[in-house]
Amino acid sequence: MERALKLFMAALPLVFAFAFLVPVIDQGMQAVNLAAPFGLSTLTFAMIVGGTWGLIAQTTGRWL
Amino acid sequence: MNAHSTIVPDDLSRLSDAELRKLENKIARKYSGKVPWLAVFWAFGNLAVWLSLWPLVFSGVLSLWAAFPIATINMALVYLPTHEAQHDIIARPGTKLRWLNELVGHATSWMLIYPFEVLRVTHLDHHRHTNDPDLDVDISSKANGPWSAIWMSIKGRQPGAKRNKDYAAAIIRAGRPELLLLSMLYKVGHIAILGTLAWNGYALEAFFLWWLPYQIAITYIVFFLSWAPHHPFAEQGRYRNTRSWRSKLGNIGSMGMQFHVVHHLHPYIPLHLTPAAYWEMKPILEARGCRIGL
Repeated sequence: MERALKLFMAALPLVFAFAFLVPVIDQGMQAVNLAAPFGLSTLTFAMIVGGTWGLIAQTTGRWL
Repeated sequence: MNAHSTIVPDDLSRLSDAELRKLENKIARKYSGKVPWLAVFWAFGNLAVWLSLWPLVFSGVLSLWAAFPIATINMALVYLPTHEAQHDIIARPGTKLRWLNELVGHATSWMLIYPFEVLRVTHLDHHRHTNDPDLDVDISSKANGPWSAIWMSIKGRQPGAKRNKDYAAAIIRAGRPELLLLSMLYKVGHIAILGTLAWNGYALEAFFLWWLPYQIAITYIVFFLSWAPHHPFAEQGRYRNTRSWRSKLGNIGSMGMQFHVVHHLHPYIPLHLTPAAYWEMKPILEARGCRIGL
């Protein structure tokens, strides 16, 4: 359990991105009626933006 | 303020070091030892208000935009009652109301996604090593000015931040490695709750009732409880490692931290009595060469 928890913690930025950031972007865009570019759905767009941001945070150790 | 003339002699220069210390402790004892019920009601009142925001928003009784600033205030108000509990101010070990002290600590600190024991262990470590560049867990709050302090606070919440490592080191130094695991569980639990809400259509509610208020509140708390009273983090030692200072937001707006010097000298004095203790103790603090700004 401890090992699993440590593995989870090591991937926390990516986990946070897909667990929370992606639906926040998706539902935020829908709330303000903002369409995603290139005919993408808001969820797909949120996956790309949130996932990329999470990957950057995972790699660099910084969200900002 | 009149009270100090009855206890503190007009000319302190005639007193020895031991006499000064005795006088200082006498004043400190005068303001300690009573249960700070204000902190207890504050803790549970604040928790009740924040918890009530969720059903009120979900049911449409309260708009998210009205609830967001309330949640932010709730988050900013969480820390001080748990801080009283960290210092055993509500009830010391072995006393009748000890359970209440621990309940206040545990019932509130989770809102800030920290186990109470982690806050207690690391904060007491900060008191032991204040401004020590290697050992003070809050040394990463050090910044040249207010804007820089805000930025340092944000940096302190990044995944690879020095603050995380400093907290972990303090926990290990205290011989409490099990708290590292507990901290991880709190973080995982937080993301699990946020994620569950978000993927069930409540992402904005989770964002504006917990995540963003937490970020704003931590910035505010670190600014006023860590940066401002210890700035410029240059000196160590009992009478020089913190200060009294005048806040542009006043004493309430800065959460009572204008009198932080008294808290570090006598951390068992309840927050709401610290100003009175300060004014009575001020001539002694001046005689000790404290950094006095009020």
